[in-house]
This record gives sequence, C-alpha cells and structure tokens, in this order.
Amino acid sequence: MNRRKFLKNSAVAAGTAAAATITDFPYFFVKRYAHAAEGDTIKVGILHSLSGTIAIIERSLHNAELLAIDEINAAGGVMGKMIEPVIEDPQSLVQVFAEKAKKLILEDKVVAVLGCYTSASRQSVLPVFEQHNNVLLYPTLYEAQECSKNCFYTGCVPNQQLDDFVPWLIENVGPKFYMIGSNYIYPKETNREVKALLKAHGGEDVGEEYAPLGHTEFSTNINKIASKRPDVVFSDLVGDSVVAFYKQFRQFGITADDIIIGTPITTEQETAAMGPENALGHLTSFNYFQSVDTPENKKFVESYKAKFGKNEVTNAVMEAAYFQTHMLAQALEKAGSTEADALIYEGLPGQEYMAPGGKVKIDEKNHHTWLWPKIGRANETGQFDIVWQRDDWVRPDPWVDLLYPNKDCDFTNPSVLERLKSDSKDRSGTFELS
Amino acid sequence: MESIITQFLNGFSVVAILMIAAVGLAVIFGVAGVINMAHGEFIMVGAYTAAVVGQLGGNTFIAIPVAFLVVALLGLVVERSIIQWIYDRPLETLLATWGVGIILQVVMKLIFGPELYYVGAPKILDGGFRTIGLLPFPWYRLFLIVIAIIIMIITYFVLFRSDLGLKVRAVRRNRTMAGCLGIDTAKVDMIIFAFGSGLAGVAGAVLAPIKSVSTTMGFPYAVDSFMVLVLGGVGSLWGVVAGSGLIGEAETILSFIYNSVIGKLLVFIFIVLAIRVFPKGLFGYHERT
Repeated sequence: MNRRKFLKNSAVAAGTAAAATITDFPYFFVKRYAHAAEGDTIKVGILHSLSGTIAIIERSLHNAELLAIDEINAAGGVMGKMIEPVIEDPQSLVQVFAEKAKKLILEDKVVAVLGCYTSASRQSVLPVFEQHNNVLLYPTLYEAQECSKNCFYTGCVPNQQLDDFVPWLIENVGPKFYMIGSNYIYPKETNREVKALLKAHGGEDVGEEYAPLGHTEFSTNINKIASKRPDVVFSDLVGDSVVAFYKQFRQFGITADDIIIGTPITTEQETAAMGPENALGHLTSFNYFQSVDTPENKKFVESYKAKFGKNEVTNAVMEAAYFQTHMLAQALEKAGSTEADALIYEGLPGQEYMAPGGKVKIDEKNHHTWLWPKIGRANETGQFDIVWQRDDWVRPDPWVDLLYPNKDCDFTNPSVLERLKSDSKDRSGTFELS
Repeated sequence: MESIITQFLNGFSVVAILMIAAVGLAVIFGVAGVINMAHGEFIMVGAYTAAVVGQLGGNTFIAIPVAFLVVALLGLVVERSIIQWIYDRPLETLLATWGVGIILQVVMKLIFGPELYYVGAPKILDGGFRTIGLLPFPWYRLFLIVIAIIIMIITYFVLFRSDLGLKVRAVRRNRTMAGCLGIDTAKVDMIIFAFGSGLAGVAGAVLAPIKSVSTTMGFPYAVDSFMVLVLGGVGSLWGVVAGSGLIGEAETILSFIYNSVIGKLLVFIFIVLAIRVFPKGLFGYHERT
C-alpha cells in the first residue's frame, strides 16, 4: 500500500466513524461530510423544481425524498455507504428538466434519479434516461399508457383511482355524472375511462365540459350543472381552478348534500387553500390521505412536520416520493450493485415496502406500483375521513382493459426481453396481444 | 329559458369582476400613458393584503381600504423610483413595469412561500337570494356588482368633478400647454399612478374570496384587463364599462351555449374583428391636433 492510498483509506475510515456519531445532526452536516468522502457515497439525483410555477408542489416532493434519505442514512445507509443526494432545480421549465437530467447522469454519475412532477417534464427527460441507461423514479399520479424500461412509476394510474371509485359513487351517491375538467390530456383521458365505467356499471353521463387551464370563473359552468341536476360532479380540474371551483360551487348555494363533487385530484393542500367549509363533504379517491391510521404514517407525518414545520400537510404524491426513495435503497441493497441494469432487472421489480398508506410493491411486468385505493370525505378540519377502502391492493394497469383490451406491457415476457436486447434503441415493454 | 336568464344575471357579476380589475389599468394608461405590465401583480399584492388582514381577524370590508393604501403606496414607490424617469419612452416603461411585475412575484413568494393562500368571504355575505333561476344568486356576487358601481362613481368624481380631475384632464389633452399654465404635470402623473395602483389593490382584495390566491394569480387578470381596454378604448371610463359589458356578457352567454373553451375563443375573435373596425376601441379618445 502506497502512502497516498493509505491516507485516502484512513480518511474514509475516520469519516465513516464520524458519520455514525453525527447522524442526529441536521441534514447539511451529513451532506458536507459526504462531499469530503467522495467516492464512498452512493449518489442519487433529486430533480424537482424549487422555483417557478410548479415549485409549490415539487418542493414538497423534494422534501419528502430528503426526509427518506435522512432516515436511510441514519439506519446505516446502503451497502455500508451513505446516500448522497445531488440536488438540481429545473425551474419548472420542461427543457431545463432534460438538461439537468443529463448533467446528473453524465457529470455526477448518479445511480438513479428521483424526480419530475408533470407528465410534460417526465416525457422530456425519459429519452435522456433511455439513451444513457439510467433509472428514473416518478412519484406522480398520471394518465398512464406509457411503459419504459428505465422508468419506475410509483404514483396511481387511472385504474387504481377510478375502477372502484366510479362504481362506489354510482351505488352510494347516484348514477348521474357531470364531468368537468381542465383542458389538457390528463382530464380527457381520465374522463374517457369514467365514461366507460359509467356504461359498464349502469351510470349515466349527463354532461362533459372542459375549462382552459388556469380558468377561475365558474358561474356559467355551475349554472349548467344545476340545470342538468346530476348526482355527482366528477371534477378533474387542476391547479388554481380547483380552489375557485369549490368556492364558487358553495357560494351558489350547492352543498355536498345536494350534489357531491368526486375527484381524483383534490388533496389536503387544496382543501387548506379553499377553506375547509368549501370542501366539506366532497369526495376524493386516492391511495393515501394524511389521516390514514397506520404506525408507518404516524411516523411519516410526525417526522415530516418536525423537519419542515408543524403547519405542513402531507398528501399522496408526497407519500409516493417518500416510499420510492426507501424502495430505491432496498433495491440497491438487493441488487448489490449500482449498475443500472442490476437495478432495472433485479433490484426494483417486485420490490415491496411498508409505506404510510399500506404495503406497496413495484410490478415486475409493467414497472408501475401496487397500491391500496381509498375514498376520503373532506371534514370540517380540511382533512379526509376515510369512508371506504379496499381490503387488498390493486394491480396497476397502464392500459386499462376497458379501453385497451389488447394492449399491455411486460418486461418479464421473453419476446419483449429479446426485443430489448436486439434493438438498443427500443426501451418500451409494450406489445399487442393477438 | 330560466337558465338563460340566470346566466344573464351571472354575466353582470362577470362584467363587474372585469370592471373592477380593469379600471386601475385604464386610469394609469389613459392619463399617464403608461402601459402598466405589473397591473396583474398589483392585484396579486392586493389579494395577499386581504389574506393578511384575514389572518389578523379582519374581513373583506376592512381589507378594501387597507389594500387600497398598501398598493397605492407601492405604486407611489414604483413611480418615484422608476417610472418618473422614463415617461416619454413607452417601450421602456413597458419593459420596466414588466420587470417590476416579475420582482413582485418573486418577493411575494419569498415572503409568503409558494403555497396557495386562503381568503374567506365575510359571514354576512354567505349564501344567496332566490331569483327565478334554479340556483340562488350569491350575495357576494351582488356585492361585487355594487363595489364595481361604487368604484366607477368614485373614479368618475375624481376625474371629472374635482380640482385634481380638472388638472388630470388638462394634462391628458395637452401636456406642454398644461405645464405652461402652471400645472405640476409630474405631480399629477404621480398621484394618478398611485390612485390607479390603489384601485388594482382593491380589485385584489374583493376578488380573493371567490378566486384562488397565489403569487402567479395576476397574469390572467392583466390579460382580461388589456382586452377590456383594447375593446372599450383607452382613456375613457365609458370604454371600461362598454368593454367589460360586452366581453363579460358575451363570454357567459357563449360559454353557456357552447363551452368555456369555445366561449373564450369566440370572444377573442370578436375582439380582433372589433379592433379592425374601431382601431381606437369603441370609446377611444381622439387626439386633437
């Protein structure tokens, strides 16, 4: 052993000992230490906007992931090494997402990236991950119909939010649905499936309408809704429109006793912003609510509040951001390697974790996540009372059988694997059933 | 048929919202000749003022004068520090006020954080009253209509029935001549900029309880206000009334017959055609040379 190598090794040893004693310290100490011992950490990229229009939501995901990394490091890290988060801010700009992803993969040599919120940002970074064969973990609920070898999706897909919710609404609230959504792909795709479900379960579609993104004047729509007398208003409005719609709905004298708003969008964040009196009694379908009563969730909510402020609320996307980080750590441990292919074929598929909302699992075939659908009713504190939950977890189905009976995605299928091997440009696991 | 009549009533409240949002911009544009690109952000600051007043236990009635003063003061600072040096360079006022808007967004985000803020309506304006339609008409929307009328009347008196108004109109007609006759034109510009800004603050305070409050909320209001001015004509109160009236009613009725997306589209097409026929807007002020 030469002198230089000896010095390096002893520095590492001293550093590791120090890390064990300072794990209770705030995160920046750990990070500073991690920089000192370059090469002895496992780098994980965090790619969420901390500035710009969607920073509101993305910062909470960023926080949840840092919290999980703290927990992992406090418990001894992965394969004896600490996880070092490499943080980039894509500024809510779609093109910057791709640039930053490239930087994380090529310059920082991260083993995987936790990141993105909107579908547009995910679609802009996916080619980067596919080209450089790296791993993206994506926590948002989205419209599905996508499947990439290099991406693992830990949020809800439509079948998990709608397949139980729509029949439940028909049975417990009423069969007449009026759909209102923001004018872009997610609401349109969601409503296509809602309509298929209505048809299959004896519901009735009495109206469907879209408002421009960011629209906040709903008197016309509310008047139309009243003239159609539906039992349920199914809302896929997003962003500023959500708060304005609920507020104006109640100002026109309609309460949840008259017409219930059912939605796969509205979380604790929105009910706080609109005021609990405006959300009272309306229903949301998700796999997680802050009010979920499990020891894992109690710990998650408490440590999140302790770290980021007592007025913070948690929601489903944050829960996914949190558990996907833990799953990545377990996957690295299982694969015993930081190679992307080891993570993609051995580490992540089939990985299970006791998440705050129940035990979750990454599907071996389609890289999406098994989750526990729940229906929450907003109460007077702005939290959700869980009025129904499924007694088993639900398989993610990126191509819903009702609409796409012949299309599926399977990374365990030999012919798909063969195709991926022979064509280095092909990263999709989709195939048509004959 | 009932629905159409209710829709017409709704339309009045939409017209009122447009009027409240646009009048501040119209006053500044019409008199000082400045296209205030930060107008939406001034409305946003007014809405946050209402949120703070709400957290301190006040309601919308208290928030209105507070927001007027806060945003008028903000307008005064912006005018004294930036605008007064570049009045005669329209392109630069455009860029400068745009910059002010961006700065305001970032500063508000630093102070209040990026999350949406909650502003409730006063308790006594909860609920609504029965009309012939299916739904009760919300008291709060009636309140908005009343506020819009009051703001127009106050602005009318300030511009047409006061000493200041006389000077303002003199400056607008012929700045050099007004200056020669002993009117302090810089002071008139300053006061009117502050007054217009204050009106934007009031708009923010009264709109906050029915809309969402965030740092990026201003932009759509700025767009709507510009549409009103372009259609109605610059520098005329009647222009604001006519512009808001046409756009508001057209949009509510068309959105009811078709849908919100097509409604908005048709209104924009209508505005483009209107500018083709009336380049100065319906009540445009004609320069006397």
